[in-house]
Amino acid sequence: MTTLDQRQRAKTTSSDSSVKRFAQSFLLSDYFVLYLTLIFFVTAAVFFPTLGTPGNISNQLQNMWPLLAIAISQTFVLILGGIDLSVGSTMGFTSVVGAIVMAQTLDPSFFDRSPLWGTIFMRPEGGIMAGSEWATLVGILVMLALGTLIGFLNGFAITRFNLAPFMVTLVSSTFFAGFALWLTQSRNISGLPEAFLTLGKGDIISIYLGPKLTSDIARRDILPFITYPFVISVGLAIAAQFLLSRTVFGRRMFSIGTNRRASEISGIPSRSVITRVYMLSGFCAAVASVMYSARLGIGQPSLGGGNLLLDIIGAAVIGGTSLFGGKGSVRGTFFGVAFFVLLLNILNAMRLSPFVIDAVKGVIILLAALIDITRTRLINREQRS
Amino acid sequence: MPGERFNILRFLLNHSTLVLFIAVFALFGLSSPRTPVEIAGITIDFPRFWSPENIFNMVKQAAVFAGIIGVGMTFVLLTAGIDLSVGSNMYLSVVVSGLLMRSIGLEIIPALLVSLMVGTLFGAFNAFCILRLKIIPFMTTLATLVIGRGLGTFLTDSQQIDFPERMNAFGQTLVFGVIPMPIVVFGIVVLVSWYILSRTPFGRQVYAVGNDIEAAKKAGINTDRTLAMVYIISGFCAGLAGFILASQLGGRVDRSFAETREFDAIAAAVLGGTSLFGGAGNVFGTVIGAILIQMVGTGLQFNLVNLYLQPMARAFVIFLAIFFDSLREANMKKLKRRFIRPVEADAPPEPQPSSAGD
Amino acid sequence: MTAFLELQDLTKSFYGIAAVKGVSLNIKTGQTLGLIGQNGAGKSTLMNLIGGVVHPDSGEMRLTEKLYAPRTPADAQRAGIAFIHQELNLFTNLTIAENIFITGFPRKGVLGSIDTAKIKSLTRDLLASVGLQLDPSTNVDRISPGERQLVEIAKALYQDASLIIFDEPTTSLTARETERLFAIMNQLRQQGKGLVYISHILGDVKKLADEIAIMRDGELVAYEPASAFSIQRMIAQMVGRSIEQLYPPRTAAPTNMPLLAVEGVNAAGIVKEISFTLHKGEVLGLFGLMGSGRTELARMIFGIDAFERGNIRVEGESITSPSPRKSIRHKIAFVTENRREEGLLMSIDIANNISLVSLLDFAGGLISVIDQREMTAAAQQTAQVLQLKSGDIRYQHAKALSGGNQQKVVIAKWLLSEPMIFIMDEPTRGIDVGAKYEIYTIIDRLASEGSGVLIISSELDELIGLCDRILVMSRGEIYGEFSREQFQEETILRAAFRQDDTAIPHNHDGVREEAGKQD
Repeated sequence: MTTLDQRQRAKTTSSDSSVKRFAQSFLLSDYFVLYLTLIFFVTAAVFFPTLGTPGNISNQLQNMWPLLAIAISQTFVLILGGIDLSVGSTMGFTSVVGAIVMAQTLDPSFFDRSPLWGTIFMRPEGGIMAGSEWATLVGILVMLALGTLIGFLNGFAITRFNLAPFMVTLVSSTFFAGFALWLTQSRNISGLPEAFLTLGKGDIISIYLGPKLTSDIARRDILPFITYPFVISVGLAIAAQFLLSRTVFGRRMFSIGTNRRASEISGIPSRSVITRVYMLSGFCAAVASVMYSARLGIGQPSLGGGNLLLDIIGAAVIGGTSLFGGKGSVRGTFFGVAFFVLLLNILNAMRLSPFVIDAVKGVIILLAALIDITRTRLINREQRS
Repeated sequence: MPGERFNILRFLLNHSTLVLFIAVFALFGLSSPRTPVEIAGITIDFPRFWSPENIFNMVKQAAVFAGIIGVGMTFVLLTAGIDLSVGSNMYLSVVVSGLLMRSIGLEIIPALLVSLMVGTLFGAFNAFCILRLKIIPFMTTLATLVIGRGLGTFLTDSQQIDFPERMNAFGQTLVFGVIPMPIVVFGIVVLVSWYILSRTPFGRQVYAVGNDIEAAKKAGINTDRTLAMVYIISGFCAGLAGFILASQLGGRVDRSFAETREFDAIAAAVLGGTSLFGGAGNVFGTVIGAILIQMVGTGLQFNLVNLYLQPMARAFVIFLAIFFDSLREANMKKLKRRFIRPVEADAPPEPQPSSAGD
Repeated sequence: MTAFLELQDLTKSFYGIAAVKGVSLNIKTGQTLGLIGQNGAGKSTLMNLIGGVVHPDSGEMRLTEKLYAPRTPADAQRAGIAFIHQELNLFTNLTIAENIFITGFPRKGVLGSIDTAKIKSLTRDLLASVGLQLDPSTNVDRISPGERQLVEIAKALYQDASLIIFDEPTTSLTARETERLFAIMNQLRQQGKGLVYISHILGDVKKLADEIAIMRDGELVAYEPASAFSIQRMIAQMVGRSIEQLYPPRTAAPTNMPLLAVEGVNAAGIVKEISFTLHKGEVLGLFGLMGSGRTELARMIFGIDAFERGNIRVEGESITSPSPRKSIRHKIAFVTENRREEGLLMSIDIANNISLVSLLDFAGGLISVIDQREMTAAAQQTAQVLQLKSGDIRYQHAKALSGGNQQKVVIAKWLLSEPMIFIMDEPTRGIDVGAKYEIYTIIDRLASEGSGVLIISSELDELIGLCDRILVMSRGEIYGEFSREQFQEETILRAAFRQDDTAIPHNHDGVREEAGKQD
């Protein structure tokens, strides 16, 4: 609450001092969050030297990529003025189904009570694509298709039946989370093809920092730098940013999020746009699921559970996406995710319990909401002059 | 509307949850296993689902899982708001009272009061963020959801709390030797809430604010105070529900206590006819909604349905509820339209009997 | 009959345009003041000043000799002033009794619960005093608009109002309900209350009022006892000489090739049997008083709202179940009357606002990538044609513009889509004279290029200056049609008030009365 007091006091200083103006331009800058992140990083590295090690940086960067994919999905939905609570369970569900498709071997003692056991989908020899060299590809395609389908169902219910996005995505979240648990009897599915696993852990380019003492370099000293998740996520981000800023679809999204009525009168097919945005959200969730599942090497029904949603919304809001719709960017979300990953890093380094970390996250989100309100007010004032 | 004909579909729509309730009760009863029971000298195979023990059990569980907080949630939803933090509120309240019970040997009733107080303060904090800081209810309560649970875990150092034995005894109390205590508490909460909502000025103003907040302000209602109160009430109910629930779990509370219960509360209220858009709903509907949700879960168990199918069935039931709610709302909108001509004057012309000579 | 509320030289301007100029009035107890004037004459602003919704720039008000300066509607209410609006402020989810007592429930018992019996009996009495015999426990959503209005009056009576202002109270009332209303108003007069009656139904005003005040362009142009007015005079004074407005000469004559045909459009309670044709090159005006159904009709034609019976045809081709998208595809454009809510994306930049309807025209490829430069250039060009005064259209938000420029952005948006049919609802509302001229020029140009323009306006001189034909709507029906030769302000206005000699007067039910029952 002290930061709030300080800001209040700053506002009451009479004339527009140069400090105040600097503070305002800082706050309003598109790179505000990036600056904040860097400042945070530098300050924290002083107190926690481990933060600055290449190993840690590399590790944190790898954490960013899947989170970025799913944060992008939420950004899309938020710009539209909606929300997607089902991304977590979409991740879990697609993870499970993908694993079922790709598994090369399945342990009967785990899965014999699954409804699919005994069918061609689940046998001791594995899933439907067991033994096939196309297993990974088909598995991934199935996951992506499924995520998109879930998104479609959400979008359909929201636009056709006029249901609140909050409730619809809550229902589908419960439903698909349950579905995933049912299929796997809450077991994780392992035995996934090698090709899939390299997707999660494979590097394209890696770095070794340090003297080359011997010809053998320990594996753990080689730092992954450009990995598959990196490429996928950044690719997704670039595509998403392109979609948002350079296509008709993107313009329509912002338009609907700002004022749906005015958009419809101007001929925007709001129903179709909204449905497609939710489909995209489901798709991105599936992409994130591919990355996480590959990295963990299992099909995990509980993937995406817990407070992931909070992290994503937090990252998006910090990055400048408004919960009211009509405002947001992939770049902002990128910085928001970076900030969040850094925050988590610091909190972990402080060895706080996971729930306390959550509490701090909650406070940060409140602050983010306040900052958003302040920024909106400042922008309004600036525009009027 | 004057002159409206009785329409069976509209009747069903307006009472959709009650219809659903009866249907589910009947369905599960008929499909569940039976035990021979003697009634008036005749032995019938009576469905266990309909037995008094089961009914008591279902109502008891409904009360502590979604019922009491559902009633609090009803207040909030009536104003078109939302409170996502009730689960964490339950946890935090119980943690504080539990710690005090263990450390300074607090007795049951004072501990309950502590729990109520923490819950109320939690709700007041929500009200502060929403009304003074102007952060929307969704964001505020989402944030306090994690802050609350984090705080609770911090206080317990992530350990589970074991309440002293008297907590368990409290939980098993039977009022008048027959009725489980949670049901009695639930009944009192429902009655008091009904009273507040329908018989006090404050209650009627809650409905007014939910119907049209601008008109409410124009009419001179202190809408800030009304809105603040509903979040405080929701917090109070959370404090109460948490304590009672803890007493049911053998006095053992770990850090996943009451997780995701807020969604059950919302579902119970919406199922019971409370509209997410505000202005419509009542606590008795919420009671039915809470019991209905519990019934679905219990019924599935009785039918030995795979444990994992239950959340899916629950999700489906909730989907039906919001679907009907939306249909109701669409219907309402039609009734609120503004006319610029008297409607009766525009009835299509009656077919005239043809006059002679055509 | 003492002066109860005195208005002295009240003035109020919005964005530099005077809505009320130097108005001085006395509202006396036990008397009804009839307040009439065209749309935009300043009646609502004057009432808002009295009601504490807005504050005067200069001048003062006195209530029973004491200074009266309400800061909020609650202040006005406390001072004993009640409004009966056309937009009712009842809560549809509460009963009649609860609505009346919502801020002042009588309590009983140790728990302080609502004394239901008492509010029921009090309500019954209040309802009886307005001639309603409804059960106080009836929910408001189950009673008719006429009954709701009477409940509002009962509420005003309960609040012990000394001054009751009626703003267009009879629009959705049946004849019987109207008679009942008048009877009650008479009762209130006899009880010593002061009444203000605002209405477009001049006959009613003359029947009810003791004094009549006529406003025009923010000023009080006549204020005399009702006996001094004939309907003729009332209309004449409402029209007067308005601000000098120049209209560009029409550069081309309309054709008689039908462009848009509206056939038998009906929607119960809103519009009845609307049929007309808009021709190529024609500027067709749609005049009427507020609440006559013009906007509702326009929205139905464009497809935003549904109608029950009827047909819309563009160049002979019928549009089945119209929707905005279909209309746009048929080259129809619609400039709505409320640009802030339905015309603009306020927090988005001007360029994007202008290109909103034509997005696909500037995009290509499988995923419709926008050629940003082409789009901005086209938007810039259109903005220039309209002489839009703004900052950089790529960065300035629509919110930051003045009303006139905002309206230009809306028009630019539709212009860019190159429509054939232009429906404009109050296009020059809240716009300065210079900008108005520019918009008139555009309308003329559109017509000369072969488009058809349907323009809804409450400013009769504007329509007379621009249009080839004027249709008059009243209470949801097309009441009259005037061609250019017949353009005469008084005549048209009289039609709008249903006071013309040519048409047979209708009573409230829209049923024709016998000829000869006129003032």
